[in-house]
Formats: sequence, C-alpha cells, structure tokens
Amino acid sequence: MFSKILIANRGEIALRINRACQELGVQTVAIYSQADRDSLHVRQANEAYCVGPGPAGRSYLDIANIVSTALATGCEAIHPGYGFLAENARFAEICADHGLVFIGPKPAVIAAMGDKATAKQVMKDAGVATTPGSGVLESLHQARDAAKKIGYPVLLKATAGGGGKGIRAVERPEDLERAFASSSAEAEASFKDGRLYLEKLIVAPRHVEVQVLADEFGTIVHLGERDCSIQKPSHQKLIEEAPAPNLGAKQREQLHAMAVRACRHVGYTNAGTLEFLVCAENVYFMEMNTRIQVEHPVTEMIYRIDLVREQIRVAAGERLGFTQDDLTARGHAIECRINAEDPSNNFAPEAGTLSRVVFAGGPGIRVDTHVHGGAVVPPYYDSLLAKLVAFGETREEAIARMGRALHETVIEGVHTTADFCAEVLRTPEFREGRYGVGFLPGSLSYAR
Amino acid sequence: MTQPGDESIAQHVARLARFLVEEDLESVRIERPHESFEVGRTATERPAVTLVSPKAPLAQSEPRVERITADRVGIFHFSRPIPLEGERIDGDRELGYVEQLGIRNAVRSRGPGYVRAILQRDGDLVDYGRPLFELDRD
Repeated sequence: MFSKILIANRGEIALRINRACQELGVQTVAIYSQADRDSLHVRQANEAYCVGPGPAGRSYLDIANIVSTALATGCEAIHPGYGFLAENARFAEICADHGLVFIGPKPAVIAAMGDKATAKQVMKDAGVATTPGSGVLESLHQARDAAKKIGYPVLLKATAGGGGKGIRAVERPEDLERAFASSSAEAEASFKDGRLYLEKLIVAPRHVEVQVLADEFGTIVHLGERDCSIQKPSHQKLIEEAPAPNLGAKQREQLHAMAVRACRHVGYTNAGTLEFLVCAENVYFMEMNTRIQVEHPVTEMIYRIDLVREQIRVAAGERLGFTQDDLTARGHAIECRINAEDPSNNFAPEAGTLSRVVFAGGPGIRVDTHVHGGAVVPPYYDSLLAKLVAFGETREEAIARMGRALHETVIEGVHTTADFCAEVLRTPEFREGRYGVGFLPGSLSYAR
Repeated sequence: MTQPGDESIAQHVARLARFLVEEDLESVRIERPHESFEVGRTATERPAVTLVSPKAPLAQSEPRVERITADRVGIFHFSRPIPLEGERIDGDRELGYVEQLGIRNAVRSRGPGYVRAILQRDGDLVDYGRPLFELDRD
C-alpha cells in the first residue's frame, strides 16, 4: 500500500478521497487554489499546498505545479478524483514518467476511451452495441441514403464536433437538405471542418450506466447499474438512483455483461463507468468515463463497497478482495445533487457566502459535502455543494427518506437545487420510475 | 558610530557568512594572532538568512515594502551571490530560483531596493504565493 497520496482535486470529492486514505492509513497531501484556502479539504489533509490562483486553468489544471508538489512531498501516487485532470491521458503519462502512480486506468486506455469515435469503434470490436450510424458523408445524396437505411429520426453530427456544435435533429426526409447545409456550415465555422456523419436519434432514452472495477490480475467485476436520466436542460445529471427502476432482468444482465466484456477487450483496470442509452428493448453504448463518478455513492450504498478505497488498493497493485459471485446488491439508493444554482433561472450557477447550512441526518442518509455555515462558494468551479444520498430497503423507502432529508436540508446564502429535486421526487413519473432523459417537472419539461 | 577598521571586519563577516551558506556549513572560525572570527548558524528556523549586509543600513524613511512570492511550486534555492538582508539590490537581479521538475524558474527582484527580509531557506519546498523576500523599494 502507498504511504502518501496527493489528492488532485477540491470540494466534496477531495474530502471523500481523504477519508478513504485515512481509513487505509495513507497520509494525504491536498492541493488548493487561493480561492479554496479555507476549504475543508485543506484542513483535513495531512499536508496542503497552494498550486495557483482561483481560476482552475491556473491551479487545479496546472500539471507542473501538481506533479512538482507530489514529488517534493514524497507522494507515491496521485488520485485525480473526477473532472479537472481525471481523464487527461497526458497527465497520467506525466505521472508515470515521474515515477508517480496515477490512480486510474493506463494512459493509453484513457486516450482511447476519451475519443468518442475511437471508443465507439473499440466497443463495436468488443461486440457492444452502439448507436446505429453512418461513416463520413461525402454528399447530401449519400446522407439521404444513409438516413433511409438508419431510419428517421436521425441526428446530423460534425465529425470534428464538440459542445453541441453542428448537431441537427432531422425528423423527416424533406428536412434533411436544409439541416445538412446549416450543420455543415456551422461545423466549418466552428472547427474548420465541415464533414458530417449521421446517427440514429434515440427519442427520450434512459441514461443507464454500469459501474466496473478491475484489478491488474485480470479480475473484472461490475457493481450493477445506475439510472441517471434526471438531468438539467444542459444534460448535467441531477438525480441518480441504483438499481435502475423498471429494467427487465434480461436487459439488466445484458448491460452488465457488455460492460465487463468491453473492459476485458480494452484491458481496463481500476474503476470506470460505461454509459448506455436504453430505449425500450434496445441498448446502445454512449461513452465510458475512466474515473470515479460523482454519483458513485448510490452504488456504494447498495453494494456496501468503498469504491475509492478499492481504486487505491488496485492502483497499489493489490487484488480485488472479491469476485462477481461475492457481490450482491441490497436495497435501493437515490442521490440528489444540491448545487448552488437557481432552477428558476435556467439553473444559473451562483457564488457567495453560505450564511446558514443545516444538513439532514437520521437513518439511511449520507451527505457528502465540503460546505458549512460561513463557507464561501467561489465562482470558478462547478456548483456542486453536496450530494444527499438516501438508502432504503425498497425504492419507496428510499424516496420517502430522500423527501424527508431534502425537507430537513437548509442552505441559505445562494439558491440551490434542493427544492427542485423534491419537486421531481413528488411527480408520478418519478415515483413510478417512468421517466427518461428530458423529463423534468412542470414547465421545465422539454423534449430532447 | 563606525570606527576605522570596522568596515573590513564587517566585510570579513559577510564573506564568511556567504561561504557558510554556499558550503552548507554549521559554523566557520578563523583565528589570527590578534583576532578571531566565528560565524555560525543560529538555532532559529532560518539560520542561513539572518545575515546583515555590512554596507547597507535599512532605509530610515518609511519604505514601500514589496513581497516577492513564488509563482511555481518547487524547491527554492538562492542564486549566487546569495542576497543578504539589508543588502542593496541594483536593478532587476535574480535573487533565487524555484526548481520544478528540473526546470529553474528565476525569482527576480524586479527592480532596485533593499532586502528587508529573506523568508525561506535554501532547499525549502515553496508553494504558489509563498513569500520569499521582502524588499524596501526606493
């Protein structure tokens, strides 16, 4: 086991990693920006060093300062958490070049799975279903043929795409010519590359993801699935639950098997998540996250496994302490993300001082947070304040506990998503588990 | 009041002090027939930087104090000649450097002034924003 680890992150995940390390008897080095000088993760780590000013690009993303801190303090490994450098293959390579263990998969695997086109091809090679689509379209004529073959509705996408640029949904054949022209023009303007391809548009799918863990000795296990379909209009997750409700046993097993098969195909190690779109009987691979997820606690609650501890153990060269047969899910867990955002203003993020903070407690409630009364929410980072997790022996019990916990939660000083989450939980669609991506209560409902 | 000969004694001490730091010694003693000098590190946290330049008294009027801080994380080293507290710095001089992943990141005075305080030891790990020197600007 390592004797000292640098935690290359902030907020609740930095605290989460610190807790796992302390329980393993591993010393911790925190890094922080000047804006986070008074943060809890700075106080709770064994050592803490400032790596830059507030903006993340000059602090939490400053690879040289982070690696230098790790080396100068005698760390043996770096845990990247999620976001920031967690899926940066170059960072993982630099760590290895300096004799530091990157707590995650190998750099080549991060690079392969980080590129969407490569990842889809890798998954196809592994026999995992991906969204039906075309190759690069040379002409409108070719696009017409491809769309007819795939079946409407379709999505036109830029091959060099990102950030939603160049994407057009096409419902009918007669709309294709216009969409092709505008999509290509936008792609050309955005990426200097106007090439397009087509993909089947999956209407109102469910976002279901599978948690995997793999060690260096070839043991790969899944820890079930999570449903993350409750998302903000920006497609960022808001409420997650495990297991996914109303999923047939056969489809559930299919998802789990595909995830393990894909991991074995790419030689995956450490923790990871494969995201799928589920639409009726069809399952399509979407992307893989080669890191710990924000929503990992719901899996931990039903499997009673500390995923972060397992990440560290695997990175230290230890074997997973269990096989698939040892893993049995029990009960149901739901997570609500309490963000400093104003749901009535399109979830606009807010910064400021939290004048009062009271979190819920009691049976079956877990709160992963870094904030407290008087804490300052800086404007530079994501707006997550806390993850409120409720466990119940049944889904109904978990929903009831979450409702009670949201009611107990008081955060003053900024708007939060707490009341909005409570509103979602009260809808018949959520209570019956009949929701997909795009579902939000009342006026916020929208079609994807 | 400065007496004749005091300046040369002070210069001796300053030279010995620099030698002490450069060679990383605990103390240096020179004995002559009629006099002896001994320069040693004190037991404080920053023994190598408690030296006072023989030539430059601190400014009498209220100076503008400027802190020079580290903008990289790494190991701090003094540049040669090692700056001394009270020493007059002319122009933009390299006072030290932060070694990071084998790269030397210079710490410069960014203009003239007197060295009011040296706040780190040679070999210290410094993080972003860590004060390294205080300079009294003219």
